[in-house]
Amino acid sequence: MRGPSLRRPSYIEICKGGIFVSKKGMSDLAKQEEKLALKLLIPAFLILIIIAVYPLGQVFYASFTDKKFAGTEETNFVGFKNYDKLLSFTIKELPPKIDDETGKQVVDQETGKKVYKSPIYVLPRKPYLYRPINTFKLFGNKYVIGSADSKFISSLWNTMVFTVCSVLLETLLGLLVALVVNSEFKGRGAMRAVMLVPWAVITVVSAKMWEWMFEPSRIGLMNTIFEKIGLGNGNIAFLSMSKFQLPSLIAVDVWKTTPFMALLILAGLQLIPNELYEAARVDGANKVKQFFSITLPLLKPSLAVALIFRTLDALRVFDVFQVMLAQKRYSMASYNYFQLISARNMGKASAVGVIIFILIFVFAVMYIRVLGVETE
Amino acid sequence: MRKGLILALSIVLVMAFSLGVMAAKKEVTIAGGSVGIELELTKKAAKMFEETHPNVDVKVMDTPDSTNDRLGLFLQFLEAESPKVDVYQIDVIWPGDLGEHFLDLYEYGAKDVADKHFQAIIENNTVDGRLVALPWFTDAGLLYYRTDLLKKYGYDGPPETWAELEKMAKKVQAGEREAGNQDFWGYVWQGNAYEGLTCDALEWIKSNGGGTIVNKDKEITINNEKAVEAVNMAANWVGEISPPGVTGLMEESARKMWENGNALFMRNWPYCYSTGNQEGKVINGKFDVAPLPAGDSGNGASTLGGWNLAVSKYTDTPELAVELAMFVAGEKIQKMRAIEGSFNPTIKSLYKDEEVLENSPFFGKLYDVFVNAVARPSTATAPKYAQTSELFFQAVHSVLTGEQSAETALAYLQLDLQDLLGYDVK
Repeated sequence: MRGPSLRRPSYIEICKGGIFVSKKGMSDLAKQEEKLALKLLIPAFLILIIIAVYPLGQVFYASFTDKKFAGTEETNFVGFKNYDKLLSFTIKELPPKIDDETGKQVVDQETGKKVYKSPIYVLPRKPYLYRPINTFKLFGNKYVIGSADSKFISSLWNTMVFTVCSVLLETLLGLLVALVVNSEFKGRGAMRAVMLVPWAVITVVSAKMWEWMFEPSRIGLMNTIFEKIGLGNGNIAFLSMSKFQLPSLIAVDVWKTTPFMALLILAGLQLIPNELYEAARVDGANKVKQFFSITLPLLKPSLAVALIFRTLDALRVFDVFQVMLAQKRYSMASYNYFQLISARNMGKASAVGVIIFILIFVFAVMYIRVLGVETE
Repeated sequence: MRKGLILALSIVLVMAFSLGVMAAKKEVTIAGGSVGIELELTKKAAKMFEETHPNVDVKVMDTPDSTNDRLGLFLQFLEAESPKVDVYQIDVIWPGDLGEHFLDLYEYGAKDVADKHFQAIIENNTVDGRLVALPWFTDAGLLYYRTDLLKKYGYDGPPETWAELEKMAKKVQAGEREAGNQDFWGYVWQGNAYEGLTCDALEWIKSNGGGTIVNKDKEITINNEKAVEAVNMAANWVGEISPPGVTGLMEESARKMWENGNALFMRNWPYCYSTGNQEGKVINGKFDVAPLPAGDSGNGASTLGGWNLAVSKYTDTPELAVELAMFVAGEKIQKMRAIEGSFNPTIKSLYKDEEVLENSPFFGKLYDVFVNAVARPSTATAPKYAQTSELFFQAVHSVLTGEQSAETALAYLQLDLQDLLGYDVK
């Protein structure tokens, strides 16, 4: 049994405190109050069901059919076919390309690397056309991984890379900003207001604005700056070259969401009592030690909340990908959109939606376990 | 309490009265584009309709510039069977895919006016005997060129082959860069991964003798030597005579570069003729249009574009909506749009009209280009044209950005098209 602790109650605990008490040893009055509480919650539950559960159920159902978006054909039930098409993958060995004359493996003149047969001949074409995603070497043989829906798998990869990089950068920068804004200095109030401006701008508007900044000629701000400092010649096509696409999008997202992270972390910082710092100073701890032994542990709950929010949001990223990259490179959500609009395949698009949902669910559960956010 | 009650009652009465007055006016909505000065002209046409129909309020809904984005918006309205939009401005490639959502205009007296338009477009808009859209303006890809620069560097006229275009562009680009214009490029076109790239790429391939992706007999013809050669030619332009950012350019962004005086050649639709000649534009009076250059086939190719007006099946006011569509696609408005916006009319008689030819002389000069424009395979691949086009432009885009070689990209494209359409390969 935990005794009274100096630990600040976590955000989750504060929310939960009050209504739910352990069932054992409840008086009749308490039981009555509980029944009344449930009755009063019914309208809220109804609204939740209509607004959240019903559409979700529709998407689940549609993912098992071959419905066409804005089409008048009959919809048929196809079971798991959509999921099969999206997630099927295969691994095949790539035979080496043999030179007809020498009977030995061909070696590329320019790079000196051994040449293998092109995956297009090896990967199966029925029941789905498998496209190569990646190759790897094992025990001296080369293998190729083929996927039935390579665009979906690459959208999955894009989303993961985007999420990991942007959340990491946002948390670090947000922590920095929050620490700065937490200290006393003149104009602190104004700074706190100004800091929120990127978060306040609508994502589509800021994505469009950044798209103009990334314009591939000297009309774009980024190209002008890069040229002035000597990188590139003013013609870098940020949004068309695959090595610059994700970094550009991550930059936009970090710019937009760092204030949000800073705000959540600031709220956590404000709750740490100053006496702890004074006591530590008296004991002779320097700033760095204070940060790692006082600030960080006490900040863990707010960091946890901020991380959960941002990761779940980043996994669902749609606006920056749709506005800036359209059909050049997909995130899972923008792939979903284009399946709906271009292929008009509502069944497959719904399946993508369900996969995103499951992925986010898994992440949420994992976070709650790993970060030790207490649940009763 | 009493005062408050009286105030509330009077507010309610006023609102009911004004609502009643407003309800007397019928509302009809037309969803049109705003590329160039399109929106202004549509609003002008709407005002003219309102003048002859005093109890009708015509709302003009603005839509996204990119045709793919516009399709996305319209599909949402159609899926919801929404009566919000009555008249849609639809692309020439959409009747096959979307025909089921539009009214048959023959049932509303369109037979009288159908003869006045180009037969090819009327046929394009007829799905299973139903006329689903009225032709509004036609489009064909044109080569814009700077007359002053060609003269300066000693050339007689626009290039007739792609090889000539490359030579001219290299020389003029080098010269202008030396003279100090660092941002000057030889040739700008639409290279972003969207429907516009399908138009541009089709022109390169067809002019080189490589076919039209899928032919009229529903055979996949894209994977051939000439097509590979054409796509490689374009990929070599990127970074040489076209900016590296051409892989991100669309119609409006290419037009901006051209109108700033930073390009020798531009491939774009006819609407840029009138916008380039506006007051205060750097290139005013310094450019002209020509047919696109020829490749190995000996003839240049120009993709057929154009937009049509369709009436939604889900509208509350079908007769009024059809009347609006027929008015806006009628001779008077088409003439106004031809003169003020250089939008190619679809009514044959307007090509002989003095006033129209005075403002856009190239309508007469390039009449053959418009009549012989090559259509994208939207009919042959209906109802899966949108996906066919997506596979095609993504394949071409990957070659332009250097990710794949043209041989691999077109070989895979053939497989993808077989998978998608189930057609045979020629």
